[in-house]
Amino acid sequence: MGGMSPLLEARGLGVGHRGRAVLSGIDLSLGPGRILCLLGPNGAGKTTLFRTLLGLLPPLAGEILLAGRPLAGIPRSEVAQVLAHVPQALTTPFAFRALDLVLMGASAHLGPFARPGRAETWLAMAAMESLGIAGLAGEEITRLSGGQRQMILIARALAQGAQIVVMDEPTASLDFANRIRVGQAIRALAERGTAVILSTHDPDQAAALGDAALLVGRGQVLASGLVRDVMTAERLSAVYDIPLRRESLSNGELHFRG
Amino acid sequence: MTERRLAPLLLAGLVAALLAGVVIGPFPLSLRQIGAVLAGGGDTQASTVLWNIRLPRVLAAALVGAALAAAGAAYQTAFRNPLVSPDILGVSAGAGFGAVLGILLGLPVLMIQLTGFATGLATVGLVLGLSLSLRGGGQVLVMVLCGIAVGALAGAGISLVKLMADPEQQLPAITFWLMGSLAGAKRADVAAALPPILIGLLPLVLLRWRIGLLALGDDEAKTLGVEATRLRLLIIACATLMTSAAVSMAGVVGWIGLMVPHMARLMTGPRFDRLLPAAALIGAAFMVLVDTAARSLAQMEVPLGILTAVLGAPVFVWLLARGSRGWAE
Amino acid sequence: MQYFPAKALKGAILAALTALPALAFDGRPVTDATGREVMVPVNPARVFAAGPPASTLLYVLKPEAMVGWVRAPKKGDLPYLRPEAAALPELGQLTGKGDTLNLEVLLTTTPDLILDYGTVNDTYKDLAARVQDQSGVPYVLIDGSFAMLPQSIRQMGDVLAVPERAETLAAYAESALAETDALLAGIPEDQRPSVYLARGPEGLETATRGSINAEIIERVGGRNVAEEGTGNLATVSPEQVQAWAPDVIITIDRDFAANVGGMPEWQGIPAVANGRVYLAPAAPFGFIDRPPSVNRLIGLKWLAHKLYPDHAKGDLRADVAGFYDLFYGVKLDEAAVSALLGD
Repeated sequence: MGGMSPLLEARGLGVGHRGRAVLSGIDLSLGPGRILCLLGPNGAGKTTLFRTLLGLLPPLAGEILLAGRPLAGIPRSEVAQVLAHVPQALTTPFAFRALDLVLMGASAHLGPFARPGRAETWLAMAAMESLGIAGLAGEEITRLSGGQRQMILIARALAQGAQIVVMDEPTASLDFANRIRVGQAIRALAERGTAVILSTHDPDQAAALGDAALLVGRGQVLASGLVRDVMTAERLSAVYDIPLRRESLSNGELHFRG
Repeated sequence: MTERRLAPLLLAGLVAALLAGVVIGPFPLSLRQIGAVLAGGGDTQASTVLWNIRLPRVLAAALVGAALAAAGAAYQTAFRNPLVSPDILGVSAGAGFGAVLGILLGLPVLMIQLTGFATGLATVGLVLGLSLSLRGGGQVLVMVLCGIAVGALAGAGISLVKLMADPEQQLPAITFWLMGSLAGAKRADVAAALPPILIGLLPLVLLRWRIGLLALGDDEAKTLGVEATRLRLLIIACATLMTSAAVSMAGVVGWIGLMVPHMARLMTGPRFDRLLPAAALIGAAFMVLVDTAARSLAQMEVPLGILTAVLGAPVFVWLLARGSRGWAE
Repeated sequence: MQYFPAKALKGAILAALTALPALAFDGRPVTDATGREVMVPVNPARVFAAGPPASTLLYVLKPEAMVGWVRAPKKGDLPYLRPEAAALPELGQLTGKGDTLNLEVLLTTTPDLILDYGTVNDTYKDLAARVQDQSGVPYVLIDGSFAMLPQSIRQMGDVLAVPERAETLAAYAESALAETDALLAGIPEDQRPSVYLARGPEGLETATRGSINAEIIERVGGRNVAEEGTGNLATVSPEQVQAWAPDVIITIDRDFAANVGGMPEWQGIPAVANGRVYLAPAAPFGFIDRPPSVNRLIGLKWLAHKLYPDHAKGDLRADVAGFYDLFYGVKLDEAAVSALLGD
């Protein structure tokens, strides 16, 4: 892993609204199959950073490069084929069926006048099966639980077939089993060469999944690098402003506790 | 209902409505006479009635119904609100103002229709210009509020025209026009309305899958590859073109743009690529049936707007009572 | 019109104006069509007409007492009006649809009498009483139906203190009505044509049987094809007119009369096929309507000639010239009559 040209790069990135920076001085470099975990307290600007990386907000400083090309110059339809987003929640008032929603991801590679066909339906169903939710295909999303909706959003990002997936707290509302399933899906993605950025409030999960970590807080990057190096007890205590300890479990995994 | 079963059903419904419209009417025409005229023969008066009056009128009704329903479905998706109608940005009020002004000035009928068409377009153009120049840019809420404001102005203009109109000569004509009617529909009207309606409908049909993504919200649509703001502007332009043409031909006919998309959504679900064709077909059939009633219930024409409201309001209540299918609880 | 800044000043002037008629009053009682007893001046010199029918009747009976028009005459009407009357200002309408009149405007014209001529029902009765109470000006309403025309002319003439003039005009009215009845006596039912009244540039607006706008058709023995309806204006489709197949079409719209021959939806209708589409003359007042007032007397003769060309007697052109001289006070030369009749 690493050593290949980065899929997503940010240099000196500053993000914020209306000229006021929420986070600045961000440098990150994501190669194929790498998982980057973003950790930080509430309100630190993680969502703003994600929205800027996705091209939804203009950067206040610095630049973003997608496969070496400046993000600003790439048309959205092309971006969507490379970069997928799993938002925190669904906000549409319409009662789409789950399969239709996933199809919207599967169709991202189609031309402007095309409609999804059998191939896209197959892609969508495959994505749902890999997450174990194929049975929800015909259900209306308004009748599903928040956790189920989250799984569908992840399936949609999978079906998009993008090389980079940006996930905003993907397991926040999931039950234990689904959390494990999503974790497995994320690892499977990485093994296929997909790069993943995810934000999480669970340092254990970040340590278990991530190759690299980015710690943010108080308007700046507090640390960035490999998980083992960056996620020390002192640093995390500083990020969350509460004393924390770090332990190594018998299987080698890291565990953090108060 | 699957797409494969639904499409022929809706088409059959439209054909049945068109047949009903052609067969029913105040002038007594037997089926045999109709057949003879369609084959190229028949007596001259039957031929005049069928070719010059009834057929153009039925086609006009179908066009108006399809245009209003398609515009309504597009607006509801683009604005992510199932309670939106094509009038939300003021096109009907604007077109109405232009047309009644034409009646007040005693313009020939063609000029009245052209004026209405032009002012309908201009009103939405004004709303868009205002909302884009205000803080917040192309936000939906800003657009809607501007539409309410400009629409209210146009409504005031209509009231002013009604006040200045000759109560014996012009006011009845103005009132009737504002309630909607296809009494004067001619072949020339259909020929004039067809291009703007088709030009407006074509991009909506071609882009119907992409448009459907707007229903998720701008952020999600963008990350799925859609230029949300530009696409919404295109939808507004197309829907305004269609609605303006429909209103300048038939006057102000309410409820079609709000209600027919709901009826269609019951059958197809909220996916816009299925909703749009269904709404257009249902709207066309519905309007043909309503217009047939308007000219056949009595010797005097019943305004279309009255009939659509009388039919539409109970149907709407029934839709609500069935449970909110097609949008969230 | 000037607006005075101080409210009190306005009020004082209003009070003075309302007091004026009462002060200058030596009146006589008159019972109008609403059954009210109204004190009117002995010789009304400034009369306000409440609506177009009253305006016309006032013009033919006592034009020197007019304070203004309800609607200003159009340019094309001016040659057909007495020049002094033609120059009077437009004041607005007090009754009917479109009440546009401000009572203060009414009072600035210092009328000593308000005249109304038209439908007599509770609404107009109420309006009469209200306006009289509020303004202090006597308000007289006379029945405007066609059947009562001669009596109404006489009654109006009595109120206006011009009984001889009224007698002349009423006598003309009676003879015109008698002439029409005599003509009809000699025409059997099956020779009386069906008539469609076409209004508006598309000809799709009509007045149904029983409405005041179309009652002249029945009076001249024609049969208004628009039978349904509540006696008002209505819109129809060309197909409905095709189904009615009227023998004659009367229109008041110049564009429709000119274009109907070329409109494909109107082909095949007997009236169109036989060239029996007639544009009713309208200067300065309409022949068959607009307003529905005494001006329709000449419409009786005109319509008789159009509906029964083989039976109608008399020289229409001479009759028109005579009517305009007697009623409107203008002398028409041959060219003017031709222009009026559209010959």
